[in-house]
Order: sequence, then C-alpha cells, then structure tokens
Amino acid sequence: MNNKQIPNIIGFLCNWCSYTGADLAGTSRMKIPPSLKTIRVMCSGRIDPLFVLKSFLKGADGVMMMGCHPGDCHYQKGNYNARRRYVMLNDIFKTLGLEEKRIGLWWVSASEASRFAKVTNEYNEEVKKLGTNPAKEEIFL
Amino acid sequence: MAKAVKIKKNVEEGLFDFLKSLLETEKIKGVFTLKKMDDNGAVSYSLITSPDEFKKAVPLYPFMPVNAGKALSSFTLLGKTEEPIAAVLRPCELRAFVELIKRAQGDVENILIISLSCGGVLSLNLMGDKDQESTVSKYWESVKKAEISPDTRETCQFCENFLPINADITVAAVGNKDLDKEFTLFFNTPKGEEFSKEASGSSVSEEIETKEINDFKKKREELKEKFFKETQSEDTGLKSLVNIFAPCLGCHGCSHVCPICYCTLCEFDSKTHNYPTSSLGSDLMVKGGLKVPSGNLLFHLGRMTHMAVSCVSCGMCSDVCPVNIPVATIFSKVGSSLQKEFDYFPGKDIEEPAPQGTYKEDEFTKIGEQ
Amino acid sequence: MNNNQKETKTNPKKGKILPAEKGIREEVLNIFKKALADNIFDALLIPAKVPNTDAYSWILLQDESLFDIADPLPPVMTVQGGRALSSFSKNGELDLKIAALMKPCEIRAAVELFKLHQIDLNLVTLISIDCPGAMPLTDYMNDPKKIGESFKKISEKWEISESLRPACQNCHRFSLMDGTASDLHIGLVGENNKVTLIPNSSIGNDLLEKLGFEPNDSLKEWESKKEKLVKEKTKKRDAFLKEWQEKTKKTDGFFNELNKCINCHNCMNACPICYCQQCYFDSQTINFKPETYIQKTKEKGALRFPLNTMLFHIGRMSHMVLSCVSCGACEDACPVSIPVGRLFSMVGDQTQKEFNYVPGLNREDPLPLQDFKEDEFCEVETPNECEEKVTEEAK
Repeated sequence: MNNKQIPNIIGFLCNWCSYTGADLAGTSRMKIPPSLKTIRVMCSGRIDPLFVLKSFLKGADGVMMMGCHPGDCHYQKGNYNARRRYVMLNDIFKTLGLEEKRIGLWWVSASEASRFAKVTNEYNEEVKKLGTNPAKEEIFL
Repeated sequence: MAKAVKIKKNVEEGLFDFLKSLLETEKIKGVFTLKKMDDNGAVSYSLITSPDEFKKAVPLYPFMPVNAGKALSSFTLLGKTEEPIAAVLRPCELRAFVELIKRAQGDVENILIISLSCGGVLSLNLMGDKDQESTVSKYWESVKKAEISPDTRETCQFCENFLPINADITVAAVGNKDLDKEFTLFFNTPKGEEFSKEASGSSVSEEIETKEINDFKKKREELKEKFFKETQSEDTGLKSLVNIFAPCLGCHGCSHVCPICYCTLCEFDSKTHNYPTSSLGSDLMVKGGLKVPSGNLLFHLGRMTHMAVSCVSCGMCSDVCPVNIPVATIFSKVGSSLQKEFDYFPGKDIEEPAPQGTYKEDEFTKIGEQ
Repeated sequence: MNNNQKETKTNPKKGKILPAEKGIREEVLNIFKKALADNIFDALLIPAKVPNTDAYSWILLQDESLFDIADPLPPVMTVQGGRALSSFSKNGELDLKIAALMKPCEIRAAVELFKLHQIDLNLVTLISIDCPGAMPLTDYMNDPKKIGESFKKISEKWEISESLRPACQNCHRFSLMDGTASDLHIGLVGENNKVTLIPNSSIGNDLLEKLGFEPNDSLKEWESKKEKLVKEKTKKRDAFLKEWQEKTKKTDGFFNELNKCINCHNCMNACPICYCQQCYFDSQTINFKPETYIQKTKEKGALRFPLNTMLFHIGRMSHMVLSCVSCGACEDACPVSIPVGRLFSMVGDQTQKEFNYVPGLNREDPLPLQDFKEDEFCEVETPNECEEKVTEEAK
C-alpha cells in the first residue's frame, strides 16, 4: 500500500467503554487514523463473529473489536464472551492460513483516550504493512 | 475394570442375538439401529419394536445414512422416552448425541447406549452398488486386522477416537482376528451391567485397549497429520480456500446432515443472508464481476464459527457433498485446533458446557491488553 | 406482469447468421463483449470456470477481462440457472440491465420463478441457447479432464450419448420453443462454424438492432437440423417415459426407488422451483413426543428414521411437479444416486398434461394451481352429470 492509499479498518466499539474512550480522544484533539470506521455496539458481547467475517470478506483491511476490560463490562459478562469469540476467530484464521492479523481485540476503557489513540495508530501501521486485503478483488467469494 | 463377556459367535450375529433376546424378554421395548430396506443393500436407521421386524436389523452394518445422534435427538427432542430402548451408535454418533443433549436437543434417559470400537463406515455412494457385498466383506477383513480400509470415509480413515466414550455397552471389534467366531462385550456402566445376564457367554478378564488398538490409533494419527497438511497449499490462505470451495453449489447439504447443526432454520438459509439486490451496482463496480449465488465462503466460515468447536468428525458432510469438497477434513482440521485452544473434547463429558456461551474469568488474560 | 412483454412475440421466421471462424464459444462471447462495450447491458449472467480449478460457477460479468473464463455451455450444470438468477433478483428491484445466457431448461425455470415472484424480469433479457446437454456432476468431479474431453466430443457432434446426464439424454426441449420464454435464442444445432441468432420478442428484436444485426437471414437450415434432433430426442423421451411408467406401476415400484434415501434434502435444495426459505418438510411441524414415535412404531413394528421419507418426496411433488422443467439438478445433487430427476420428470410429464400446461413455455400462462375455469374437470366431481353438460352445450 503506497502512502496515498489508506487502508479500510472497521472498528466495532462498545458503547460504554471503547466508544466513549474514542469520543474522549476526539475531544482531546488526539490524532486518530482516518482509516478507522467506527460502528457502535452496546456491548462487545454484541459482536457476532459474522460481523467480523463479513467485514473481512467484503474487503476490510483490518477489523478491530473493542470493549471494556474484563471485570468492567457494563453488562457484567459480555466482554468475556467477546474474548472467547475473538480467540475462536483468531484460531480459525490461523488454521486456514488467512491473515489473522487483520482481526484483533483490544480492551479500551472510557477514560483511556490516549490508549485508544495509541492502539488505533499502531494497528493502522500494522495493517498498512499487511497490504491490501486480497478479498477486495476476489469475485469467487 | 468393566465387566466383560466373551460370546462365541460371529460379532454381527452375536450382537443381533443379544439385542433380540433383550427385545423378546421385554427388558427393552425397542431397538434403534440399522435395518435393511431392501435386498439391494439399502439400509436406514429404524426404531424397531417387533421381534418380527427385527429380523431385518443389521446393527453393525458399515454405513451411516444419517448420523444416529441426530436421529436420536429428533426422537427425544420433546422429552425423554418413558419406554426403555437400546440404541446402537458409532463412537462419533454417540459424541454427537451428547453434544446435542448439552444443547437441550435430546435426552438420554432410558436409552441403553451400545457402541463399538469402530473401523469406520463406507462412503455412501457405495450403498446400493452392485459390488456392495464384496466391499463389505473386505471392510470386515480390515477391521479384523486393524487396518485402515480405503473404502471408508476420509474422516474414518484418520479417526483416532474410535473407542466410544459414555457407552453403556461396547462391542470390541477392531483388531480382533477371530471376529467371525467370537468377540467380547464390555459392560461399562451399572446400567449396562443390568443387561449383562442376557449375554450368552462367559465372563472374561479383558481390557478393551489392546496393543492392536494402540497401534491402530497411531496409524490413524499419522494419516490425520497427512490429510490435514494436504487440505491447503502453504501459500495465500484465502486463495486456496476460495479454490477448495469453488465448486460449492450452496445446497447447504453439509449443514443439513451435520448433527451439530440442529437449527430448524439455519441463519444462512434465512432472509438475513439473502443478497440485497440494491448492492449489485456497487459490488460490480468494485470487482467487475460477482459469483452468484453469493455468500459461499461466508457460509462455510460462518458455519465454522457456529459448530466447528463441537465437530465430532463423523464425515456426513463430505459424503453428502455433490461436488466432492473435503468439507469434513477441513472442518475437522479447524475443529481439532479449536478444541485444543479451548481444552474441549466434544462428547466427552455430558456435564461440560459447550465453549460458546461460557467463559472463565481468568483465561486468555493476555488477549486485549496489548 | 413484465411491462416489456406487452407486445406478442414477433414471428421468428428470420434471424441473423454469424460466421464463427474462431469457434462457437468465441463467437457467442464476442456478441456479448460488444453488447457490454456498447452499454446495451450492464452485466451478463454466464457460467465461468474458476481460475486454477476445475469448478464452474455462475458469474455476473461486467469487466471484459472476465470473458477469458466465461463459457456459455460448460460440461456440467452446477447451480441451476433459474436459481442463480433469482438469488440476486428477488430481494428488491433490479436497477441494472442484465443479460442472462442460460440453457432452455434454466430459462423455463426462470420463467416459472418469475410467475412465483422470485425473479424480477424487469431489465432482464433472457437469452436461451441450443443445449447439447451436460455431464453428470459426480462423474465430472471425479475425473474433470476425462469427462471434460468426453463432453467436448459429444457436444460437437450433438450426440445423444449415454454418458450425458439422464435428464439430458431424455430432453426434447433443448432448443427454442414456440412460446414467450426467451427474448433471444442462439441456434447452434448441427453447425460448428456458424451461430444463428433468433429474436423471440420485441426485446430480442431491439437487441439485434442495437448490435447492428439485421434479422434478414433464413432460419430454414438451422430449423431443419433442429427439428430432426427434436424428433430423435422426442422418441428417446417417449421411450424413457414408458420405461419409468412401467417401472413405477409395479407394486411398490415407486417406493423401492427411494429405499436408499437418507433424507438429506439435497434434491429439494438444488431444485430451482423449490424456493421456500423454510421448507415445510424441514419445519418443526412434524416433530412428535417420544411416546408418539413409539406408538407409530408399534403400528407396523418398525419406524424408519428420519421420518417421512416418502411424505417428503410425494409432498414435494405435490408442491412443485407442475412446474418441473426436467432439468435434473436434483439427480445431480443426490449423494446415493437415486433417479429422483427421472421420477419427478415422469410424474411431471403426466400431471402437466392433465392441465395442458408446459412449464416455462409462455410467461403469460398462469400457474395451473393459481387458476381455474368454472367448467373444467367435470369428470372428477360429477361424473354422472358430465354427459348432460355435453349435450347441453351441443344444443
């Protein structure tokens, strides 16, 4: 990917922690990569593995799942389920030789604006290194 | 050590007689097992209550027209059976039944589970074949010698879990060179032992795990490594995955016969996955072309996220696929890895909940904190 | 009703004959290359070979580079064309001009699906093509090279080979029929160096005009070759129907054919006419308590699992056989080689005749069960009064 192209990163952010943290990063004028497209879900436990799969197969260069730190979930248990789902997706991708680095899970709390900025910027660089998702051009998906 | 009874009969005949006597003495009211549908080799699972109809039963016949666990689940979906029945299941079918019971899709109460050390089942396209009888004979020869039969399903050829778990009674078949004349019945549970008196044979002091069994297990494990390696080329995973599933018709036969896929209306058959006509313009603009019907890989990968962790590698999916996609091998490979990750063995412990929907607070602690 | 079909089909006495110097496939594809380049269509629905595999798949083709993998007459029928067309055109209105190049049985299935509101034919041009048949899917997947080569020879000679799918061997509707199904037909029978384009509707005529082809050529040569083959195939079909009618009339003749059935429902899922998102026979309507199963078992002493094998097949017949286009997709999909396509085709033939209905022949023919005449089938309901009615009319 050359410097002119920006990757396409989809982020599923939980309302109570990571989305609020992202908001705080924005109001604090922190620099966030323009490649990130955020989708707010009420809880990271709402993230259906199919959301991640569909994003990947539709050509997203990176997919981020974000939620509250374990123990801090607004709905008590949602993020534990999200963690298991991510582990499952990661394992499936690894077994099948799909680029597992294109999906990831991060815990970012409502006050961790700088963590949000750090994590998204680091991931943006990593996705740039991975290059464009071949699924974008694959017509036989 | 389980109570063991040596029966001096051919294994098929011996098990048949054992079940027949259970039925005739009304210790059980019905037998759930394979039954001949005609004289051309067609068999189907049946619930049999009359000793007359039982004459056509062929309990250990090496075909799996449907995963018996799935069939038993439909039998006990709305409740447990009040009348005691005996069911003859292969180890993978039994594990599938256990997985379904965990998901409230069946009940094992009052069902006497009889299983066997399993040499596998023949591919379904051989059923009704004019050479069926000789293929079946060859199959039994390989069972006796604890050799892998090339006519069996791929998943059977590399199955290392051919000793049943949770069976009340186990028929020792694999590796027994004298299978034509004698075999041992193992009564593993108190429930099983209640029926041991009906076994006309002598008590013996034997273990089901013999040297032949262990050698056989090793042979199959090696073959598994080989098959798993061959499923995909080492280069770009997505491309090779696309190529493997390229012939897929989207018939969803694999999902329909899978015991773990129990949903009445599968998500991938529902309106949720209908292609939105309005997307056609933009999709074509981006790619210049579009395979239709769409959603091929999404279906297979999505189905993996739904059930691969409970995959019992029965192989029904590959057998039913009209275009010979090695679905079972790929799903077994993914399932095997997932099961290691979650330290979960499907069908082993009926009390252990399936990995989805449960969690431990102190697992995978490094995930998410990077 | 499709607004574009207000005019009746034009008299297809003339067409346009194109020389096919580089071969039939090239010439057919060239026509569509031109049509796409001139924006006559936005996309073409056509089979394609997936690169680096032996698999065939339908694609909506927009980019010219994809013509390299396109094949109008592949050696196998994978997904039935009617089903492929409905998969992207039933969930909303199409806003792109699509050309669908499909075999006659697939066109007929598409017309039936259109009547069932599963396909939006607005902006779709249905283009049928003379079909030499296809090879059984299982045979092809087991040995793609050998079967592919075999198909090439058979299709070039328009042979009625026993290696073809049974449905294809017995098919007499492999060419243009006298109806309003397709807009344009591509005639190929008996010719290896020319392609005959036959307009079959005002849309077809418009298309030829836009392509710059004046339909001034006589169709006599193509028609005579086609009629000859139709006669041969009709004889074969009649023999097939007779054979299977006799087979199934024997006691349990029909049931015995289904002894191997494993209830996978692949036949239903492959069938283009079976479009229900949730089939009745997959629903929970037919679940029972264990005691009910045991009670049912005791009636005859045994109960086959899964239940309702026969009910599924006969029930499915009652749902779709009047629209059965004898494409044989069901038989290709069956994992235990039950001749389900032949059974359904044979029953379909008889039941369709009762209603004087040919599925997919005319877009405006109503589906038999969605229509009625007040004074028909008198013999079914009032057999003794039928004569009276006849004499009344005679007066």
